[in-house]
Amino acid sequence: MSPFDLVESSEDVKEYQNRYTYLYGTVILALVILFLRLWYLQIFKGTELLKFSEQNQIKEEKINAPRGMMLDRNGEILVDSLPSFNVTLTPQYIENTDDIATELASTLNIKKEDIIKKVKQSRRQNGVFKPVRIKEDINRDEVGKIERMIIDNPGLKVEMVIKRNYLLDKSGSQLFGYVSEVSKEELPQLNAKRKFEFKLKSGDIIGKAGLEKRWDFELRGVDGARFVEVDARGREIASGKDLILGGYPEGADYVPGHNITLTIDKDIQQAAYDSFIKNKHTGSVVVLDPNTGEILSMVNTPSYDPNYFSTGISPEIWSQLVNDPFKPLRNKAVQDHYAPGSTFKTIVAIAALEEKLITTKTTFSCPGYMNFGRRKYNCWRKHGHGPVNVYQALERSCDVFFYHLGIDLGIDKIAKYARKLGLGSKTGIELDNERTGLVPDTEWKKKALGEEWQPGENLSNAIGQGFNLLSPLQMATSYAAIATNGKVFRPYLIKKIESIDSKVLKVTSPHLIHNAQKKENENDVTISHETFQIVKQALVDVFEKEHGTARGYKIPGLHIAGKTGTVQLFQLTAETVFAKCENKPLKHRHHGWMAAFAPAENPLIAMAVHIEHGCHGTAAGPTIRDITLAYFKKYAPDMIKNLNVKVKEIVTPQEEE
Amino acid sequence: MALQVQERTTLKKVDYNFALVIFALHIIGLINLYSATHGPNSKGMATLFVSQIIYIIVGWVIFAALTLIDYKIFVKLAYPLYVLNVIMLVVVMFFGHTSLGAQRWINLGFFKYQPSETMKLVMVFLIAKLFHTHVKPQGHSFKDLIIPTILVSIPAFLVIKQPDLGTGLLLVGAIATMFLFVKVKRNVLVTAVIGILIALPVAWKFALRDYQKNRIHTFLDASLDPRGAGYNSIQSKIAVGSGKFFGKGFRKGTQGQLEFLPERHTDFIFSVLSEEHGFVGSITTLILYIILLMMGIRTASQAKDKFGVLLTVGIMSILFLHVFINIGMTTGILPIVGIPLPLISYGGSNMLTTMFALGIVSSVNLRKFLF
Repeated sequence: MSPFDLVESSEDVKEYQNRYTYLYGTVILALVILFLRLWYLQIFKGTELLKFSEQNQIKEEKINAPRGMMLDRNGEILVDSLPSFNVTLTPQYIENTDDIATELASTLNIKKEDIIKKVKQSRRQNGVFKPVRIKEDINRDEVGKIERMIIDNPGLKVEMVIKRNYLLDKSGSQLFGYVSEVSKEELPQLNAKRKFEFKLKSGDIIGKAGLEKRWDFELRGVDGARFVEVDARGREIASGKDLILGGYPEGADYVPGHNITLTIDKDIQQAAYDSFIKNKHTGSVVVLDPNTGEILSMVNTPSYDPNYFSTGISPEIWSQLVNDPFKPLRNKAVQDHYAPGSTFKTIVAIAALEEKLITTKTTFSCPGYMNFGRRKYNCWRKHGHGPVNVYQALERSCDVFFYHLGIDLGIDKIAKYARKLGLGSKTGIELDNERTGLVPDTEWKKKALGEEWQPGENLSNAIGQGFNLLSPLQMATSYAAIATNGKVFRPYLIKKIESIDSKVLKVTSPHLIHNAQKKENENDVTISHETFQIVKQALVDVFEKEHGTARGYKIPGLHIAGKTGTVQLFQLTAETVFAKCENKPLKHRHHGWMAAFAPAENPLIAMAVHIEHGCHGTAAGPTIRDITLAYFKKYAPDMIKNLNVKVKEIVTPQEEE
Repeated sequence: MALQVQERTTLKKVDYNFALVIFALHIIGLINLYSATHGPNSKGMATLFVSQIIYIIVGWVIFAALTLIDYKIFVKLAYPLYVLNVIMLVVVMFFGHTSLGAQRWINLGFFKYQPSETMKLVMVFLIAKLFHTHVKPQGHSFKDLIIPTILVSIPAFLVIKQPDLGTGLLLVGAIATMFLFVKVKRNVLVTAVIGILIALPVAWKFALRDYQKNRIHTFLDASLDPRGAGYNSIQSKIAVGSGKFFGKGFRKGTQGQLEFLPERHTDFIFSVLSEEHGFVGSITTLILYIILLMMGIRTASQAKDKFGVLLTVGIMSILFLHVFINIGMTTGILPIVGIPLPLISYGGSNMLTTMFALGIVSSVNLRKFLF
């Protein structure tokens, strides 16, 4: 910079010389104005406004919208929302923590140390103004006692919340799901796609599993807000006083969630669960109407009480549920899949009949084993079944008969028929995480395992012991399709959704996925009416004939058609093959299946029962019978009117499959 | 060797008192932000505190950089920055992030950029550039002011349209201050005053949205609408007043902690401060701002060239308007407009722009004796 520039620039700047005074003046003026204003508010009016801040306040309070109800197919309540009362304590207004904790402990029957611990922890995390929940869901008697204590203890409060109430308790909890507070981690993920007015806030209650989760948006409603007059301790105070600030603001009304009518039948749901508990079984049941696909019942055991979640589940119970090896939180009927065992023989028989490999007159002789390749393949019956035709083979579940069919058909043909009956793909039920199951064929094996299909595998797959996997829901769906001579309906749970003002928002009508009697694409297979009749007769024999594997569970006067299945979990050595299942450790015991429909002539219900480690397929027998009786008692009492319901209790038959 | 000496003297010439005042305001801001974001009902707000610390650190880096850069660079950059920023305002109009009914942000993922914040500063660059070569001791005439006025109107219109009336008017206010400072002829001044008087009722009828009218109505008489627009104003006044002389104490303010105060971490942070730290706290803060403004004006009066003077005057008027309007609004002498309190309110755009602007003032200050 040259000296010349300097002179010029300072000359230049001189033009503004006198104007800075105005700027200083303005700043001083502003200082004076704000100083006076602050003095006026904080010193002159301070005491008055302090009193005001302590006494009269209008505060916006959230009103939680009650969640919609879940009703059964006849309008009976399965899940609803009820008011419930919690005791809270605000640390700021406690005079002596020890005293109040002692008093509360004796009134509410909880430990004094726990109260002190809770208060201390919340104080540290959330500050002194955040009320701490001392006990949830207190009874009427306790509410009264606490109300009296409030007079001397201003920090105490009884807050009303809406509690989710599951009327069936443990029955179907995996289906209905449960609700609890949205977690910090879930919040951004759930809100990503929600519009502003539907965004969730921390503290909101959301559905965390089952239908509660999948239909959360429909069930939850829209929270409202109201303005209440509260004192500085956040307590609501008597209204009607003339506020210096004017009247009460109007809040926004809440909109209750929609009510969902399910296809579930309350009584059948309960009967299925009770039957499992009575027989001390672990497993799953799916019951559906074969003519529509409506699910009448879905049960899993062991189960849990979703009501625990509504009031805040204790960490002990939670870890117990999560660590239980039998997965009580899981909807195994939909989310798990298992080998079908002998229940799969029905489909192999259908394939063989359709492919004209056998007729009803074809017999194979069963000496109790079959040699194939370098191996010996056993029949479950050590001494064999002798010569059997297709009726007898299904009735007695003869393995050797189906070994022959497996070799002759080959896996690819069997797979086509299995798919035609709805296996190997998701059914499309309105629940999250449905299992696809697995219908193996040569192409699949090459792709998934990189290996060629071995001829020996045709044998094991023909008796449902190979790669086949299906969920109890798929099992029920495929047997429903046999029941209706080939109509595969999409199973569904939601009958309709209605808003609180009875506006119908959604109605589900039956959806036919496949019709097995019709060709649906070029290389498709079909299953004729005659084949269905043959197979159905054989399935009736399972219950009715003297060698039928389910003969102990027949209901006189009502024809049930069905099939048992036993699934070995381990490759057994020669000595252990015929060892008694009940003598093995629980986790080595076989799984038992039973799939059935009734009445065989004109089916009204179809079901699949899976018993984990039940040893035999027949273990599911009592449940099949209990569910069938519950259904016909309710919907077709005249069909079983001559029945002496007291059927003799059956001991698991010796040597049954 | 010579270079080292040069550097030492450069560093010596930096006005550390100026930086100290800014730092003090940052600390006050953080104390109150902590209180405002750690209440019983502010779950999930705790991360804002950490973000703010990051903004402050980045702010200081920017401040230091701008101090060392010669501010003359903005003579060249004024037009490109202006064009760029106006484009951003248009972009935000169509693709911006909507919050509280207004489209103000562009989401950059790690940061929400608010173009209206930087616009104020860029406008100051442009006006300073346009006037720093003028020598008009008798004042500027209409002809001299046509182009600058048009150039201000475009962004002002876009910002008001967002709608962000507060920031728009602040922009106009800061530029008007600069016009007055470079002096306008008396007839221009008279015409402008008359023009505004005519424009006001017209704007009221056609330009203002209902909620904006509502705010002014309720400012004039809060009891008209204690539930809606008046609610904020009343609750804020209660908060400030109830602090009395010494305040209720850190994290003990019922108004702030119990959520009677809306936007308590941004626009209403001064209410939290006044409630918890009383007259002592609010006056201390006010005086720190006044000191900062005075230092700024002194810097302007000592600047070596007109561009430096005009930059500093423009920046200081933005700062002044922010502080005055914000405190005025929280204490109930001005209507509620969404204007943050610089250096104290939560917010990245405002923090970084303010530190950028103060860095320029510091740069002007550093170069005053450089001959």
